[in-house]
Amino acid sequence: MSFDVFRDVAKPIVSGFGITARRLKADKVTVQYPEERREQFPRTRWRHVLTRYDSGLERCIGCSLCAGACPAKCIYVEAAENTDEARFSPGERYSHRYEINMLRCIFCGYCQDACPTGAIVLRQDFELANYEREDFIYTKEMLLEPIR
Amino acid sequence: MAAAVSTETVNITVNDIELVVPKGELVVEAVKRLGLEIPIFCYHPRLKPVGMCRMCLVEVGFKQPDGTVRKMPKPQAGCTLPVSEGMAVYTDTDAVKRDRKGVLEFLLANHPLDCPICDRGGECPLQNNTLAYGPSTSRFVEMKRHLPKAYPLSQYVTLDLERCIQCGRCVRFTEEISGDSQLAFRFRGASMQPSTFQLTDFESKFSGNVIEICPVGALTSAKYRFRARPWDLQTSPGICTVTPCGTNIWFDHRSGKFVRVNGRTNEGVNEEWTCDRTKFGHDFYNAADRLATPFRRDGEAFNAASWSEASQAVLAAFADGGEGVAVLVSPTLSNESLFMTQRLVRDTFKTNNIDFRPSGGLAWSERLENKYGLDPVGGTIADLEHAGSILVFGASLADEQPMTFLRVRKAWFSHGARVVVAHEVATEADSFADVVLRYNPGSAAVVAAGLRQLLAKVEGKFTPEHVESVSGVPADKLRAAAASLGENGAVVTTRRLAKPAAEILAVAAHETGRTFLHMGPHANTEGAAALGALPDTLPGGVKAETAGLDTKGILDAAAAGKLKALWLVGVDAFSLGDRDLVSRALENVETLVVTDYRPTESAEYASWLLPLALPAEQDGTYTSSERRVQHMGAILQAPGEARAQWQVAQELAARSGAAPVFSTSEVRSLIDSVAPDYASLTMAKVIDGGELLPRRGQSPHDLEKLAQTLGGL
Ligand code: SF4
Ligand code: SF4
Ligand code: SF4
Ligand code: SF4
Ligand code: FES
Repeated sequence: MSFDVFRDVAKPIVSGFGITARRLKADKVTVQYPEERREQFPRTRWRHVLTRYDSGLERCIGCSLCAGACPAKCIYVEAAENTDEARFSPGERYSHRYEINMLRCIFCGYCQDACPTGAIVLRQDFELANYEREDFIYTKEMLLEPIR
Repeated sequence: MAAAVSTETVNITVNDIELVVPKGELVVEAVKRLGLEIPIFCYHPRLKPVGMCRMCLVEVGFKQPDGTVRKMPKPQAGCTLPVSEGMAVYTDTDAVKRDRKGVLEFLLANHPLDCPICDRGGECPLQNNTLAYGPSTSRFVEMKRHLPKAYPLSQYVTLDLERCIQCGRCVRFTEEISGDSQLAFRFRGASMQPSTFQLTDFESKFSGNVIEICPVGALTSAKYRFRARPWDLQTSPGICTVTPCGTNIWFDHRSGKFVRVNGRTNEGVNEEWTCDRTKFGHDFYNAADRLATPFRRDGEAFNAASWSEASQAVLAAFADGGEGVAVLVSPTLSNESLFMTQRLVRDTFKTNNIDFRPSGGLAWSERLENKYGLDPVGGTIADLEHAGSILVFGASLADEQPMTFLRVRKAWFSHGARVVVAHEVATEADSFADVVLRYNPGSAAVVAAGLRQLLAKVEGKFTPEHVESVSGVPADKLRAAAASLGENGAVVTTRRLAKPAAEILAVAAHETGRTFLHMGPHANTEGAAALGALPDTLPGGVKAETAGLDTKGILDAAAAGKLKALWLVGVDAFSLGDRDLVSRALENVETLVVTDYRPTESAEYASWLLPLALPAEQDGTYTSSERRVQHMGAILQAPGEARAQWQVAQELAARSGAAPVFSTSEVRSLIDSVAPDYASLTMAKVIDGGELLPRRGQSPHDLEKLAQTLGGL
């Protein structure tokens, strides 16, 4: 087969521009991240949050059920006892230390499933990049929802 | 405790499978022979069955002559029903399943179900049985009862009344096993509550056990409260080193930190129990001031140093020190550590100045085995269970030898042994003693001599009347005690008892064919004595050619400025007595080396402070007070650069030319080469339940020497 400049070079280029030209009229799908963000699905499972009751008390009771359910074994919970002077959660027990190792987390959501009080939930913040490995240990202070 | 099981057997069927079992065995136990299980709450194999919870309901029938089975109209409690000929037991018919659901539904109606915050959650029989046999949903929508939560029964035990299922295990434990009868049920029916009688503290030396046998989270440990959940913990088999019994424990730890102790079954030692010293006395593993590196004193301050500097300094002060140096070791160190230390002292320091005993202590020729050829520990804890009579002399067993105490009590409670207690003060054992002999302080030997005279039926001046005049023990009480002790049995005493009394008892026991137990006070007293941590005894019990100084001698010499260097290994010298003498001794030695896991009072005087690894942080074996050698592996990591004492001793020896030793098993072969008792042990057995050192066997000689002792009274 012989080489034909028109058939093999010019025609594909022109038809290529044709596709582009047709697309120009359609709606754009790319977003200008980070200035623009796409809306997320309501059940997206990303960064964890430790929620509070409306009263401001923590929901977490330090039961370690999330840690028990976690397939990646990346949750560490240390409980302590509430006193009337220092009350963190309703009832007798609260989590004194609560840590998640985000490097190991696979965002399966089992922790949320296991939690008897709905304390730990996976929300939509997915921007978890960081520079130091240590920074991926999310402490209770980082995870806890601010008091509204 | 199952009902008396005879050797007679009966034929029964379980779920139509034929089975031959001993007559009188309980149905719950019999089905285990088939690998089946009947769910239970109140039944406990070591307690009398009471049938309080009804969890164990099964259908029971009897074979009729025509081969059919006629079932009893109502389900039966498997934990109170002994098997009999022709019995047919059904453990998983629809009716049984319905009954179990019903029982659990009732229990749960009154149960708070706060599993997420309950310390029992994850290892809770109520959770397990509910999951396996219970209803999956609740029909109970009404308000639950509310009762006090986290009520402190004692400093160790917390009671959550809402969770109690009124099984009575705790109450029965204090009545049947520990014998302090501290707990009882108040009120009746649904309002029944376990508590102490007058709502006083739950005072018991064995209170920790009720936490473990409570089938729910009603009784929990105040020390473990909210510390961890069972699935957070790693558990390893260990040995208690704070009591002399060699209690087998589960050592639970989390992220390299000790968390709690549970009893581990060893029928020969502790069955499954622990004493409170064992259960709650291991917190020192987490001491905030654990030493993690060697420290050198520079003026007033201690500065961290390296092991290499420390070893050089210790060697410079001690090597070839002869009479001018001495070492005091703790009898809670492992066999390996004690052996390597004494070897270092003898071979490198060239001295016999080593001792583990707090004060005094008997010279080689004064010890029972050498003076009379009598075995100081001639029986085991388990032997006591079947001794017809037991004399407990001069010891508060529940404090000093808790597991021996439980066995003596069991001998009385389950096998009707007659117990005679002789002591200066009231002890727990008085409560079940046939006869209690309360003698005046200092008159133990006379009472022992009086008892010997009655038991061995010999003549002498220690007539009951003479004993009464000296000791204040009424003459007829002494006669009653001798009568109660009968012809054979066991004599139990501890090393705390002063020398002449123990000697008289040992001879008396020999003369009347009784087992004699002279039990030591620490986790490895026996090992320290057998492996040469003594000034006049080499490993294997061989007499040293020249005796070194004992503890008292060492302190005196140090105080007089005659010691150049002193090394305290795991010992706080201030615990050895006379504070004045000790502080003078510590001030007057040039080089004081203190090896310990945390800075003790003696450490303030130290030139060098060396960090010690604790028993669970190293591999080692221990010889308990009944001369059972048991093994504990390294469960935790020692903090920082803390080392086991055998390692320190071997490094010093190696630095001065000895062949290096790399592992505890190498140390054990060294021990075997000089201590024949230890050579006869098999490591597999030592690891699995422990192995008893061979009895020396009685080879009595010179028994007439006793006359001299008696004459001196
Ligand atoms: S999302 Fe899954 S992996 Fe991540 S913490 Fe929860 S349970 Fe663990
Ligand atoms: S987050 Fe939920 S499951 Fe985890 S410890 Fe807290 S209460 Fe328990
Ligand atoms: S006792 Fe058992 S069932 Fe009851 S709250 Fe505790 S863990 Fe749950
Ligand atoms: S406290 Fe525990 S052991 Fe005692 S009766 Fe209640 S459930 Fe049983
Ligand atoms: S186990 Fe049989 S009644 Fe409780």
